[in-house]
Amino acid sequence: MECKLVPSVCSYCGTGCGVLFEVINNKIVGTLPMKTHPVNEGKLCIKGWNLHEHVNSILRLKQPLVKTFGRFMKTDWDEAIQLTADRFKEIIAKHGPDSIGVLVSAKITNEENYLAQKLARAVIGTNNVDHCARL
Amino acid sequence: MTNSIAEIEDAGCVFIIGSNTTACHPLIARRVIRAKEKGAKLIVADPRNIQLSRFADVAVNHRLGSDVALLNGMMHIIIKKGWHAEDYIASRTEGYDALEEMVSRFTPEKVQAITGVDPGDLEEMTRLYATNPPGSLLYAMGITQHTTGVDNVKSCCNLAMLCGYVGVRGGGVNPLRGQNNVQGACDMGGLPNVVTGYQPVADEAVREKFSKAWGAELPAATGLTITDMIPAMLEGKLKGLYVIGENPKLSDPDWNHFNHALKRLDFLVVQELFLSETAQVADVVLAGASVAEKDGTFTNTERRCMRINKAIDPIGNSLADWEIICRLSTAMGYEMRYDNPEEIFDEMAGLTKSYAGMSYARIGLDGLQWPCPDKDHPGTPYLHKDQFTRGKGMFFALDYKDPAELPDEEYPYFLTTGRMFAHFHTGTMTRISPHLDVEQKTGYVDIHPEDAAKMEVRDGDMVVLSSRRGDIEAPVRLTRSVAPGTIFLPIHFGEVPTNVLTNAEAFDPLAKIPEFKVSAVKVHKLVL
Amino acid sequence: MKEQIKSWLEQGTVDVFLGYREVDHHPIPWCFTQEAIEEVDDLVVSPARYSLEKIATHMAAEDPDIRIGMLARDCNNRALNVLYVWNQLRPEQVVTVEANCCPSPLKEHADCSYLEPGTVGAYKKAVGIDNHLRLEAVEAYGPEEGRNRWMYEFQKCIKCYGCRNICPVCFCRECSLDHDDLVGTGPLLPDIPIFHLVRAVHMAGRCIDCGLCEDACPMDIPLRLLYQKVNRIAMDLFDYRTGTSGDQPPFSILGDRVTLEPKPIQPVTGAEA
Repeated sequence: MECKLVPSVCSYCGTGCGVLFEVINNKIVGTLPMKTHPVNEGKLCIKGWNLHEHVNSILRLKQPLVKTFGRFMKTDWDEAIQLTADRFKEIIAKHGPDSIGVLVSAKITNEENYLAQKLARAVIGTNNVDHCARL
Repeated sequence: MTNSIAEIEDAGCVFIIGSNTTACHPLIARRVIRAKEKGAKLIVADPRNIQLSRFADVAVNHRLGSDVALLNGMMHIIIKKGWHAEDYIASRTEGYDALEEMVSRFTPEKVQAITGVDPGDLEEMTRLYATNPPGSLLYAMGITQHTTGVDNVKSCCNLAMLCGYVGVRGGGVNPLRGQNNVQGACDMGGLPNVVTGYQPVADEAVREKFSKAWGAELPAATGLTITDMIPAMLEGKLKGLYVIGENPKLSDPDWNHFNHALKRLDFLVVQELFLSETAQVADVVLAGASVAEKDGTFTNTERRCMRINKAIDPIGNSLADWEIICRLSTAMGYEMRYDNPEEIFDEMAGLTKSYAGMSYARIGLDGLQWPCPDKDHPGTPYLHKDQFTRGKGMFFALDYKDPAELPDEEYPYFLTTGRMFAHFHTGTMTRISPHLDVEQKTGYVDIHPEDAAKMEVRDGDMVVLSSRRGDIEAPVRLTRSVAPGTIFLPIHFGEVPTNVLTNAEAFDPLAKIPEFKVSAVKVHKLVL
Repeated sequence: MKEQIKSWLEQGTVDVFLGYREVDHHPIPWCFTQEAIEEVDDLVVSPARYSLEKIATHMAAEDPDIRIGMLARDCNNRALNVLYVWNQLRPEQVVTVEANCCPSPLKEHADCSYLEPGTVGAYKKAVGIDNHLRLEAVEAYGPEEGRNRWMYEFQKCIKCYGCRNICPVCFCRECSLDHDDLVGTGPLLPDIPIFHLVRAVHMAGRCIDCGLCEDACPMDIPLRLLYQKVNRIAMDLFDYRTGTSGDQPPFSILGDRVTLEPKPIQPVTGAEA
């Protein structure tokens, strides 16, 4: 039996409460407040307490999807990535880099946001980068 | 936030405007209650009666969109009574004279005419804020989601600086950010005009620095904001869109308008945990990983950069978002290879002054608050300590402007929007969570019993809400938490899409933030 | 102590040992195993308290035959006793290493709460209830004042359900707090005082006065006093002292031992997470 409590941060609002994911055999069975965390001092709100439920949801996407004739088909990463790269390159070649926009996210990590805007600016070549800070 | 969450407990007065804190930032509401219990004064200004109103020394319902008038009215009284911090103003700020001239026009009577706030209440809340230092001002989207969003924010800053509350422990101007890493997304350059640490793309030296680091030429022209992208899509200028972890179809104003714009795209890629409303109309959907399935950092509303740790493997064949971006970049001909997020963080910290002193080892479980410019810097619990970041704090003399839309004969009710306690944003994550879904399974509209009597509707009746943009149906919830004349819709429910009603044309000219908080609607009972 | 734990793991007396380990200066509950036995050297007796026994029940749900070692304070032991009599864990599958608690003059039982008397604000003392009062002092308020003070505390509730979620002896699959007929779902505030009273009633004969609920309450509601009150009733009426013994079946409190066989609670469709 593998059981561990993994420290993390709640992703339901900007407060940034410290949580522990209770993991038993590679499945998250619960979320606990981190007792000694400087932000929340061992307390959570209803969303924080149930943070693991969205992780475990049966509705999670488990592989990339590509729409063919109006219907989603399951595919593998190589195909999904290559298709996306080709379409983007095609659009850039035809209409220029500013014909593409990238919406980064207030929900992904700093590292991922950094890479996403790097992709927009250094790879696609546009400053059309934004996210839903305003919404 | 200029100050830290824990410092709220040490405030002499907490002033909350445009934030339903117990529902949207519950663990910050905890600090507010603890401050109150320790003896701090509490002021709540909100168009609704929120839970914290019950604990307030003064709670006022100012009319939707009248924040500048209310705040100017407070400053009017402060200057008249001589409660302003003269030394602080003289040594640390500029632009005071113009402010004084402007607020001198906002007499309590004028303010009452605009905001509906009783002059006695206005004077009492002003006295509490100005004479119980340090005053901590908290606000959220109730201040920013207006055509005057920037003016509202600047007015909050004016008020705090007038009392000398910026740059002191326990004081400050404290926006409560709505999403877990909205601070980080901004810090990381997820904006059309700046790269990491708010370095402007228009600055040639900045472009040169990043071009060198990234080995690629950087575009100089400022890009499009979300708000600008919609017309660009409609005009056929924007052909491809890559959306990561967002559900703009539900969160953007004027759903019909946005839907139409999405259809004009040649290619839409959505990277998501779920088949959200936006993912459903995508050409390619990339399956990302949740917070529990990857390493990385988030930066919270008090600028605290904290680590998240991988607890389980990405489910199914999903991939951590950073890996997806690396693969896509490499497939597009720009090799992006990192062994782990720590390498990405170190690259970013090397290019960003406010994060330069941070490393995974230093961040630990407590996190570090930026600015943290070098390896020995302990982080910064509150900003502008001895000097403002820009040198002197700038007062802005701002006149009151009406919201873009006010009720009239045809659309007689104010509509405002927001969150409820058990759900988050567009509900993508919370509505599939059994313990959260059980609290609120579908959308509703909050209506005051007096208004309901006029509309001849009862609790649970279905009503049709119409604005100049469109119609939606929602069940009625009678509550005194809204003032008569105002109705409230939560934003989380796709089947009651609030943003069919809101106005995509009305946004702040500078911040491009849509006016979600004020629209005019009419309501009538659904007749089947 | 560490040698004892190591030998238990090595000899297979236990499959896992639940204790604490410091991670970046924070004590985190840690499951020590034979495979990584060297980690036992880092075991700490944490000043922070987590419900290790609740983690143990989750492990036992996964593998009913698992043998679990546990670092146990007095409160952990009382919780274990309740879990034994309610068939959530079997006494023979658990061994404990006793850890000292921090004695406190404030409570009958050891008190490890973070809420120090100094941090209870003057305003709360004036209109609400000081978390450090003794039950007698709160009862002395009289009906009207008592009601006002409790209502002040309940009005702060943000409906996080933390009091239930953290509780080491809350294990029902179907919880009365999730029942729309008993407690309304939807808006904040929750139905007060019903929300708290429904939970309080369910804590009679169950609460072991560990204080974790109060510790987890974002609004510092004095839940411990509330549950002490209902437990006092159980004690006065039935002489049932919760958590003091692992073999006093809850069904015997009406005098003669009831012949009902305690059954595992069946999952209810739709109510399960």
